[in-house]
Amino acid sequence: MNVIELKNISKIYNPDTIPVRAVNNLSLQIEQGEFTAIVGPSGCGKTTLLNMMGGLDPCTQGSVTISGVAISTLNESELTDFRLKNIGFVFQAYNLIPVLTARENIEFIMVLQKEDPKVIGDRVDNLLKRMGITEQKDRRPSELSGGQQQRVAVARALASHPKFILADEPTANLDSEATAGLLEIMAQMNKDEAVTFVFSTHDQRVIDKAKRVITLNDGAIVSDEIHL
Amino acid sequence: MMLSLAWKNIWRSKGRSFVVIGAIVIGVWSLIFMFGFYNSFIEALSRNSLYHDFSHIQVHHKGYLTEPGLAFLLNRSEELVDMGAEVPEILATSGRLIINGMIASPKTNLGIQVYGVHPTDEAQVTGLEEQLVEGNYFENSKRYPILISEKIADKLKVKLRSKLILTIQDAQANITSAAFIVSGIFHSKSPRINESVIYVRHADVVQLIGLDDQSYNELAYLLRDTETTDRVKVNIESKTENLLRTYREIAPEFDMFEQTSAITKQMITFIIMLALLFGIINAMLMSVLERTKEIGMLRSIGMHKRKIFLMILFETCIISLISGPLGLLAGFATNRYLSINGLNLSSYAGALEQYGAEAIVYPSIDYATYPLLMMIVLITALLGAIYPAIKATRLKPLEAIRKI
Repeated sequence: MNVIELKNISKIYNPDTIPVRAVNNLSLQIEQGEFTAIVGPSGCGKTTLLNMMGGLDPCTQGSVTISGVAISTLNESELTDFRLKNIGFVFQAYNLIPVLTARENIEFIMVLQKEDPKVIGDRVDNLLKRMGITEQKDRRPSELSGGQQQRVAVARALASHPKFILADEPTANLDSEATAGLLEIMAQMNKDEAVTFVFSTHDQRVIDKAKRVITLNDGAIVSDEIHL
Repeated sequence: MMLSLAWKNIWRSKGRSFVVIGAIVIGVWSLIFMFGFYNSFIEALSRNSLYHDFSHIQVHHKGYLTEPGLAFLLNRSEELVDMGAEVPEILATSGRLIINGMIASPKTNLGIQVYGVHPTDEAQVTGLEEQLVEGNYFENSKRYPILISEKIADKLKVKLRSKLILTIQDAQANITSAAFIVSGIFHSKSPRINESVIYVRHADVVQLIGLDDQSYNELAYLLRDTETTDRVKVNIESKTENLLRTYREIAPEFDMFEQTSAITKQMITFIIMLALLFGIINAMLMSVLERTKEIGMLRSIGMHKRKIFLMILFETCIISLISGPLGLLAGFATNRYLSINGLNLSSYAGALEQYGAEAIVYPSIDYATYPLLMMIVLITALLGAIYPAIKATRLKPLEAIRKI
């Protein structure tokens, strides 16, 4: 079953002045449980593609369908709600809320979803354990290492039971050990819970771990390989 | 969680939050102090005019106002004097014979108003005896005693036991003069009296101008309770053909004092709140701009604009709920201390006296002012939060992500 379906999408910035075609008539399907890396040189359209998949940037042409919902038909409020319930985000710079502890950062998205406090508690405990950061749960982001912060960010993305997780260069700021640890956790989550991950990355370690590698150039797919 | 996040966000920049809290505390404190000071100032003005000059009700002949003097004496004045004893709301009554005249000392002379009074009655109505700073209260019975103010004594360059020549018109419009001895020098809390009134005994003045001892052209009633003024006026009015006027009708400045006080307090409140409003807008705007990325991230992960808006509003509310009561407490403590010990403004005594105010001010404030001010602070804070909150909701999530 396709979780993400992109049909002939294009993204053109500054269409009235100096048009820049970031994504060019691209079609793509991503199925439930995939562990996909989108790679390519800088400026090839990786981040733009992820933004369009996440409903953060509307496409100029074509359609984006997430779990059967054409997100271009949703208004701003519906789209916000859609993101909250269906998409998890992991950012390169972690983007945790600095005044909240690791635990509170993870809880926060579930509170936004108005989950039952008991459910929240159990889910957060489980995620903290899976991410190996139970001991750090009461620390604020500034008291955590980069790797630990990114684990909190992944836990936060997973907390809301999203249809898929979009991760924009998640390992760019991490050292080898932290990267390996994080990839291991994400791969395990993908294997155990069939969580769909889509990364944009330059990192060969991430590419090596991915089950599918899509290479972009000038906003178009130049290769789409399955790694068995 | 939203409240908890708002609370934590406030302390993210402690310095800025303390500056905003401090500004609100100082603003509220200064408002309470100013209200207390102003209330006390106006109250003193009114009290001094009421209890040392006009009294609650004055009675005159209906023609007196158009032609003050001896032409229009009170009709059946003895009944009016008796009424003072009969009407329970009346505390004291003083009949007066007021004549314009000229007072002369060896060095100079002065146009004045002569108040012929019964010493005991006048002491009860205006507290004249208590205002003596030198001499005695009409005790020199061998000669005509006279009480003059310090100010008039200075102008006439006379002192206690000096001889003064008083020249007035008698009932037949003849000029008559007599020598008086300064038996006492007073300092009234009413600037008008200090400036232009001298007191002689009613018995002396009626003898001098050839009237009987029931001749008055003014009668003043001091009431037990100011609130009963209008009721007592109506009651007495129905029993006499003379003209009755309350202190508010005699001196419209009473109403003017209150109106000016209310307008001034509203204006100062508005100015201080306006300053606070801009302070809050500035601080919250800085707070929002510093969190652009974070707010963008919150929007990205699915936080609705409404919640972002509420988060900023909560932050401002919490700040005002901390600072408002602190300001009220500081204002209350200051007013409480000064209401007991007084605020000594002796160095401005001269200027204050010109207005009939007192050199030591005892601030007083109505307790209802405290919740009212708290509400104003809260409303100001909420108004101040609206623009930054709108600004926060207008942030595009993608712009924040691009900054990552």
